[in-house]
Amino acid sequence: MNNNNTAPRVKKETKNKIKVDFDRTPLKDRLKAKYLNGYFYKKVLIAIFRFLLLLGLSYIILFPFFSKISSSFMSPRDFLQTDVKYIPKYPTLDQYKYLITENGYFKAFLNTFLLSGTCAILQTFICAFIGYGFAKFKFKGNGAMFVIVLITMLLPHQFMQSSMFLKFRYFVLDSTGIYSALGLTKGLIDTVIPLIILSLTGLAFKNGLFIFIMRQFYRGVPDELEESSYVDGYGVFKTFFYIILPLSVPMLVTVFILAFSWQWTDTFYINLFLPTTDSALLTSISFWQKTPETLAAISASQLAGTTGASELYSVAVKNTAGFLVIIPLIIMYLFCQRKLIQGIEHSGFGGM
Amino acid sequence: MDNTIQEKATLPAKKKHHGASLMERRARLGWVFLAPFIIGLLLFYISIVFNTVQFSFATYHTNSIAQGGGYYLEWAGLENYKYVLNELTMTNANGETVTFVEMLFTSIGGQIVDIITIILLSLFVAVLLNQKMAGRAVFRAIFFVPVVIGAGIIAEIDAAGQNVILEAMSSGEIIDTGSVNTSALNGLVNAMDISILFQNLGIGSGLVDLVVGLVSDIYDIINRAGVQMLIFLAGLQSISPSIYESCQMEGATGWETFWKITLPMISPMILANSVYTIIDSLTSESNLLMQNILEINGYPEQSAASIVYFLAVALLLGLAALILSKFVFYQRRND
Repeated sequence: MNNNNTAPRVKKETKNKIKVDFDRTPLKDRLKAKYLNGYFYKKVLIAIFRFLLLLGLSYIILFPFFSKISSSFMSPRDFLQTDVKYIPKYPTLDQYKYLITENGYFKAFLNTFLLSGTCAILQTFICAFIGYGFAKFKFKGNGAMFVIVLITMLLPHQFMQSSMFLKFRYFVLDSTGIYSALGLTKGLIDTVIPLIILSLTGLAFKNGLFIFIMRQFYRGVPDELEESSYVDGYGVFKTFFYIILPLSVPMLVTVFILAFSWQWTDTFYINLFLPTTDSALLTSISFWQKTPETLAAISASQLAGTTGASELYSVAVKNTAGFLVIIPLIIMYLFCQRKLIQGIEHSGFGGM
Repeated sequence: MDNTIQEKATLPAKKKHHGASLMERRARLGWVFLAPFIIGLLLFYISIVFNTVQFSFATYHTNSIAQGGGYYLEWAGLENYKYVLNELTMTNANGETVTFVEMLFTSIGGQIVDIITIILLSLFVAVLLNQKMAGRAVFRAIFFVPVVIGAGIIAEIDAAGQNVILEAMSSGEIIDTGSVNTSALNGLVNAMDISILFQNLGIGSGLVDLVVGLVSDIYDIINRAGVQMLIFLAGLQSISPSIYESCQMEGATGWETFWKITLPMISPMILANSVYTIIDSLTSESNLLMQNILEINGYPEQSAASIVYFLAVALLLGLAALILSKFVFYQRRND
């Protein structure tokens, strides 16, 4: 500040940094100027307020989980103790241990992972593709088609349950006998093909929402971006793959997360399309509704003669199974959310 | 002078293009992008919806086993709709018996405040979670929890277990009795006696009811806002940082930046989220009217009731979309 007239003296110069020697104001004054002002107070107050608010909302979200978490570490006899509330007297990992070993957790995990991964990738890509078509092409019928997308959003699949089942039971080529030739006695039922078909056509669970948000996102992308790409000799599809998809990463990640977790926790479509086979998925009955035999034996020996407590214990085991289903999702989200960080230039038009 | 004018007049008009122009041809490519969706519609979706609609205009008869089993439909015209609109009764939240039409209005009307709150809350939380702070990843993960517990397996486990453990623990009753009636979640917020606080402030009773209703629903509302929050977060990430930079250079405060930059840039997502919230609130299985519809005896009556209901929701959607699309800003030249 004082040396406005004279050039600062260069003290040390390295590759990236230049150290400059100038008369500094004393540390005390600098700290005072930095921290003892209204602006700083305001910032601290806002930070505290924000933290408390988020903490409160988090508490409300997690509140029902506290009891479930603590009960997942309880042994059956804890349910007989009236003074046991949240902290078990006889803590044990038995519930986790036997659910994992006896109910085939790892196999179910792998199957669910493959199914959800496939469906989520297909849905993300297909919905981005369709959404781009809605956003950037002004053909006759665009609006009408979009209304149909909204209708598919509006009609829950629960209402079409039986029609849907029959449709995939006798799917298109059924009369040709191709399915029975392939060893499928019930059409496409008991295979994952219906789920794949739904994903491929943008008609799976809540795909209307994905198409909608991708369309909204692409409508915000400036047209100049595509025009310059056309000038450079790219066609419409190359532009979509190489220019448009990379700049929509935050949206694609979000759609992927939603599609993946909904397929992961889904019970409706699994019951509908995979009713008889033991599909060995995390959401199939063989994993989460069955109390492992060892646990049942322990429960029977410890809770002989009581009814309520053993019932509670079996609910606790189900809750624990629920945790085993959603914990991988939370971990996946923690990894994926790193992609959701501001600071990357997405628009392609810096400082436009 | 006259000659020249005549000459000009006889000149051929603008030379006509044979076939479509480049832009028209490009616009037609839009159908290619829509192709997967259209194939799905034609292949199965239309006929699935048609089957459901067909039921609403028919009476349902099952064949005896001697006849080979199965069922057949008989055309009944608007009978099912007449029944639904005139005779069908349902049980509302207070346990009273009301007609379907009354239920329709109270159900949709009751959700409107919730829907607006969900949108505002999720936008607010998304803005907070987009800022740099300690523990952001943890908070984001916590706010992701409602997305995975809202539907599917956890909802099913909860429905089966009905939170018995939570109730047993928080009541401290002898657990062996198995069932405890009071919901612990209500206790969570009822502890704060908000209505008294507000009455002392001298605010109108309508507003008090509104606030008390919202606060006692807070658990429900937060858990329905998870998806919207995630979408808003992605929308916020997509705003170019250089816009914020130039805003800062011009000396705009955070408040001004929010209203002049963040809000217009996020407005396309506000539209999408509003449509989604309306649909999700009104047609999810947790909606009381939907539960009532699912309990109707007879598939034809059920589909007639649901079609009437979906038309009503579609009307509300159209209205909301019409109003909101006036305020949506797209960062493009042509719009």
